[in-house]
Amino acid sequence: MTNYGMVIDQERCIGCHSCAVACKDENNVSMGQAWNRILTTGGENIDTPAGEYPVDGGDGTLSMQYQPTACQHCENAPCVKVCPVNATYTREDGIVEIDYDKCMGCRYCMAACPYNARVFNYDKPETTAPKGTGNVEQRERGVVEKCTFCSHRLDEGLDPACTIACPSSARIFGDLDDPDSAVSRYVKQYETTQLLEDLETDPNTYYIRGEMSPGRNHLGNEMESELDEPPKRRNAEPGVPATDGGEEQ
Amino acid sequence: MSNAVAPPNKFGTRGKAWVAALSGLVLVGLVAWAYQLSQGLIVTGMDNVFSWGLYIMLFVFFVGLSAGGLIISSVPKFFHSDRYDSIAALGVLVSFACIVVAGLLILPDLGRPTRVVGFFLSPDFRSPMVWDFAIVVLYGLFCAVYFWLLTRRDLAARGSRLAFGVQDTEAGRQRDRKLSFWAAAIAIPLAVALHSVTGWIFALQIGRGSWFSPLVAPMFIMKALVSGLALMLVTAILADRFTRFKLSTELVSELGKVLGVFVAVHIVYLVGAERLPHAWAANFDFWTITSGFLVGDTVSFWLWTVVGGVIPLALLIVPSLRTRVWAVFTASVFAIIGILFEGVNLIFTGYTELNIGAAPGVTTGTEYSGIGSNIWSTVGVYTPTVIELLVSLGLVAFGALILTLGLRYFPAFPGSALGEEARPQSTGDTTAADGGEVRTDGGTDE
Repeated sequence: MTNYGMVIDQERCIGCHSCAVACKDENNVSMGQAWNRILTTGGENIDTPAGEYPVDGGDGTLSMQYQPTACQHCENAPCVKVCPVNATYTREDGIVEIDYDKCMGCRYCMAACPYNARVFNYDKPETTAPKGTGNVEQRERGVVEKCTFCSHRLDEGLDPACTIACPSSARIFGDLDDPDSAVSRYVKQYETTQLLEDLETDPNTYYIRGEMSPGRNHLGNEMESELDEPPKRRNAEPGVPATDGGEEQ
Repeated sequence: MSNAVAPPNKFGTRGKAWVAALSGLVLVGLVAWAYQLSQGLIVTGMDNVFSWGLYIMLFVFFVGLSAGGLIISSVPKFFHSDRYDSIAALGVLVSFACIVVAGLLILPDLGRPTRVVGFFLSPDFRSPMVWDFAIVVLYGLFCAVYFWLLTRRDLAARGSRLAFGVQDTEAGRQRDRKLSFWAAAIAIPLAVALHSVTGWIFALQIGRGSWFSPLVAPMFIMKALVSGLALMLVTAILADRFTRFKLSTELVSELGKVLGVFVAVHIVYLVGAERLPHAWAANFDFWTITSGFLVGDTVSFWLWTVVGGVIPLALLIVPSLRTRVWAVFTASVFAIIGILFEGVNLIFTGYTELNIGAAPGVTTGTEYSGIGSNIWSTVGVYTPTVIELLVSLGLVAFGALILTLGLRYFPAFPGSALGEEARPQSTGDTTAADGGEVRTDGGTDE
């Protein structure tokens, strides 16, 4: 079974918002809406740190991190459980998706989602390019929408738009059920957290904090599982040869 | 028997004006809804952060209001008492009107109301909203049937076609008594289920910390009892004033006493029980603990606890005040306003703060108006728009219309109770404007 998930290395993230722009472009997201947001964990405002600069008695505790946040694709997704008409559902591959044809726009899922990952088309969606952008059909007014892990790209064997847009390879996408996939190995190898873990929604999105990972392990647009050669996986520990994609070490 | 039942009264001038005004409001509401449908929910005050507003607040409120009548009519019947028989049918009618308003309030909240068929075509039975949909429909139908059951013999006596062929016979009335016992036996668990399930819409949401509490369902039941009984009293007192229905003052003070108990359990006990654990755990000093659970920081909290709690309680607790109709009436109106703001408060506590409030926050989805517009927010703010108010007002007027027409065409105030001597009808009140019935026996409630 496939169970798609994403690892986001916050140590690699430089806060450039490329993934957010790529997402908006690829998915035809209306102006004034965002499926993918780059939050600043630190100060009160975007790009500001918490703490003090070490002068004039300041204790030098400045700290700031970027937390790219979109739908977490929870295993125990509250939005799926509340949707009265089965418009929001979990696919067999773990992706939480919306059937826009069924959605009646009651916004119960927005009440249920702890991550505020969902947006609602209060107005008719508006894009700068009049015909829209990207490869996903524009949604109607009156429906809820959110990140789909670019399921339309996955069908073609391509990684999500945000993943390939990231200039610092901070996003790693793959199959959490495959123990040899980069996501599985990173989740095991690095200190990863899920957002709002104590709510037990069990997201398929993991964040690396602390030690930096080598990031996404290939440069092309294709998904890891599509690579012909056994992927030349970078390993975190220098000196240890890259795995060959075969058996788990 | 049959001569004890007054024929339906025609509307007087005032009655006609009342019906016309209500119809006008319903029409305005429909136009406002049509406008909202054409523009989208952008014309409401809701956004991605504060995604449920006035419609849901009022939905919760009207579900609560629908409790009173059914409880008042069914609980005594269940215990084979005819104590509140004089207002039993009126109560069920009020319940019916309120649940219809509540159910309809969901429609304007939907982004695409036509897709509401999904409740039948692809329901997810894990969803509390599916449970609530089922129970609201069931409750509404039940109220309608129950109301008809309570009035059908009188309808037959009156020769109304609404009796649907039922005959007014002694044996029939006897059987209806038995039937209404069984109806009451269904009504009580049904009402408990309705209010609990509506509470669970919120209480099961772990993502909204302040909603996620086991106390929400009992709270919903209690506030339904408060607002429902208060509305029952208001309606009965107004009917006494504006129709030929006569309400006994003893009944008013007796129900006022019950209302006082409900308010006390709701505001004093449940609110305290809900807030104390958090206040105790969060503070150390005795007085900070005390103020932590007795003091709120929002206007809606004060409207709920003081206007809806302290004032009605003060009016109802003093025996000499309780016997006065104006005092009970005022207490009831205040209690209703209080419960309205309890719902407002509930929604606000759920949406004001975000779980992840880091900057820049969440896109509101409503603020884009060109380059440079700030589309972000880290806090939920909400003010209903005129459109929302008009749509809601239209629906409330629709409920009032159901109530008025129900009183006009149905003998909601029984002319006589079984086994009691029919008393002479009062015929003096010719100025009565709208369709109330003559209540000939003041004694059924004793």
